[in-house]
Amino acid sequence: MSEALLLRLSMLLYLVGTASGGLSLVQPRDSTRRVTAVALAAAFVLQAAAIVVRSLEVGTIAVGTLAEQGALFACLLVGVYVLAQLRYRLAVLGAVVGPIGFIGALVALVAHGGAQDVPPFLRSPWLPVHVTLAFLGNAAFALACIVSLVYLWQERQLKAHHVGTLARRLPPLETLDNVNFKFLGWGFILLTLSIVSGVLWAELSSGRLWSWEPRTTWTSVIWVIYAVLLHGRLTVGWGGRRAATLTIVGFGVLFVSFIGVNVLTPGRHAVSYG
Amino acid sequence: MTDGARVRRLHPGDEESRVELWVFGLNHRTAPVELRERLAFRDDEIATALARVLEATPLDEAVLLSTCNRVELVAASAPDADVVEPVTQFFARERGVPAATIASHAYVHRGKPAVQHLFRVASSLDSMMVGEPQILGQLKEQFRLAADGAAASRVLRRCFERSFTVAKRVRSETGVAGKAVSLSSAAVELARRIFDDLGDKTAMLIGAGKMSELAARHFVSNGIASVIVTNRSFDRAVELARGFGGTPVPFERYPQYLALADVVLGSVATSGYILGPTQLHDVLRARRRKPMFFIDLGVPRNFDPAINDLQSVYLYNIDDLAHVADDHRAEREREAVRGEEIVREEAERFWRWISRRDVTPTIVALRGKLDGIRRAELDRAIAALRKLEPDERRALEAMTQAIVNKILHQPLSVLKQLAVQDEAEAAEVAELVHRLFALEAEAGGRARDADDGDEDA
Repeated sequence: MSEALLLRLSMLLYLVGTASGGLSLVQPRDSTRRVTAVALAAAFVLQAAAIVVRSLEVGTIAVGTLAEQGALFACLLVGVYVLAQLRYRLAVLGAVVGPIGFIGALVALVAHGGAQDVPPFLRSPWLPVHVTLAFLGNAAFALACIVSLVYLWQERQLKAHHVGTLARRLPPLETLDNVNFKFLGWGFILLTLSIVSGVLWAELSSGRLWSWEPRTTWTSVIWVIYAVLLHGRLTVGWGGRRAATLTIVGFGVLFVSFIGVNVLTPGRHAVSYG
Repeated sequence: MTDGARVRRLHPGDEESRVELWVFGLNHRTAPVELRERLAFRDDEIATALARVLEATPLDEAVLLSTCNRVELVAASAPDADVVEPVTQFFARERGVPAATIASHAYVHRGKPAVQHLFRVASSLDSMMVGEPQILGQLKEQFRLAADGAAASRVLRRCFERSFTVAKRVRSETGVAGKAVSLSSAAVELARRIFDDLGDKTAMLIGAGKMSELAARHFVSNGIASVIVTNRSFDRAVELARGFGGTPVPFERYPQYLALADVVLGSVATSGYILGPTQLHDVLRARRRKPMFFIDLGVPRNFDPAINDLQSVYLYNIDDLAHVADDHRAEREREAVRGEEIVREEAERFWRWISRRDVTPTIVALRGKLDGIRRAELDRAIAALRKLEPDERRALEAMTQAIVNKILHQPLSVLKQLAVQDEAEAAEVAELVHRLFALEAEAGGRARDADDGDEDA
């Protein structure tokens, strides 16, 4: 199947998943939950297949343009969500995750191609490993951020003694808090592994473990933010509102720096491969 | 004169399967409690009362429904029976209330509206508190009393069983019963918004007020793991704790246990707040800031409102709970509109079924149709043959009549037999006959919209 067809099919399934996720906000039923889960899982598989097709075309993992990076990020985000909702009842988040996947697939479809040839020094088996780990970590942090936003909104309602219909459909605060922690933990492990893989790759290819450039600098900042957050959580029991706020701040820094570094600065990590 | 009317006179026995449904009663909207309580029947009175009502009135079947909000007689009779007056008299005699008083507060539903009323009652749409779950249980129980005493048989059994199904449908497809409307259940509902699982949570009861006891009971029946009870009088705490399988602690020492509590219910008689932000500070630290849900049921209030501003602390007082319950009530009423639609649709279906169940109109219509064809063809033949002797004409007439009768004999006896043995199947077969012969029921248009009239066969 062609990449475009795979993307179109996955967009269709994303729409289905979004609609039934939205419906489960209005009328929670087991059937809508199941439809959401299956549609998003299938959409994920198709979009991932499209990325594989594209990657085979390029010769290495397809992250040559901002559009491709966005698509990979959205796809992995859905993938992590699909795995997570096997454990936790997060069907209502399908209404948020679905559109993200949809936009990812749409961007890949519309902004197709346009990548320059991958420079030889990046043509390495390390590239897909390093990039996939980094993006998986980002996806987990993004989900933690979404969960935290839901948490803050619901917490405000409970504090204000006004619990609307929508709040009743959402998972309880404690569940959101637990899930947030799980996403943060996985995100942190993946981020750490991606840094390790980057360091190893640099050491093996150029003999330099670490070079301070915009991406590596920002990544260390982000690593520290999440490390502090997790540490606070494990030792002093930071949770609830504070953890949610910090999670959102952390992801905000991550997101802005990711786009900023890609667009503004040259270098190995920039879109244009410098 | 139609053929149908003549045939009906020829087969008077068919009349017996026709039926009228009635609801005769009064409820919280039409009658004051003083009257309702005088007319109410205890469960152990129902069987004999039913026997007497069937004796004293032309009713064939009856179920007596008596709760604190309603006294209703759901009944079936022959179609032309006059039942309103005898039933009013029956209640008047039975309960020593003037018949005129009863008549001025009672409502009578007949036919399809009676079915619809019963379905509304079963679905808790007619209840004082829309969506309350008890009514269906009461209905089932009192139907059983009637069925055991053989006061409810063919028609009412169908009708009630259907009403149970309809009630289930309304419950699952609308939100009429969805949200908590009592203060205690609103509290449990809020706890579910905060906590993942009540199964590993602890509630602490400070003070032994009636309201907080009720709320605590609600938490226990919703699976909270344990209850700690404290009270100024320790004996009362011990007694209450025994009721929940909980742990009593002395009032002076309860702050030590506060860190164990996820839900705290307060209803102590006090002149000032018993808990404020300062006391809670250490408790929260000890709990590593796991959420705490405070429910203040005391008047004057037990907990300083400022604790609601602490992180992971949620404080609701009695008014807050009442607001939540009010919101829910308003939503239930919105959902009730959808429930009414379901009830209307189901009553319509049931009514079609009950009309079709009676095979007489089908038989009449089928005979009429074939007789019409016979006549038309006979007239044409006679006209074509022109000069016929009167006895030849009679012979032709007799022959065609015999043909029609012989053709009809088998199918009609099957229909009649079915009507006695299996009403649901009879209704289906009657429906099929209507379609095969393009019959219109003489009641007018019943057949046309009866595509899904096969009810729950």
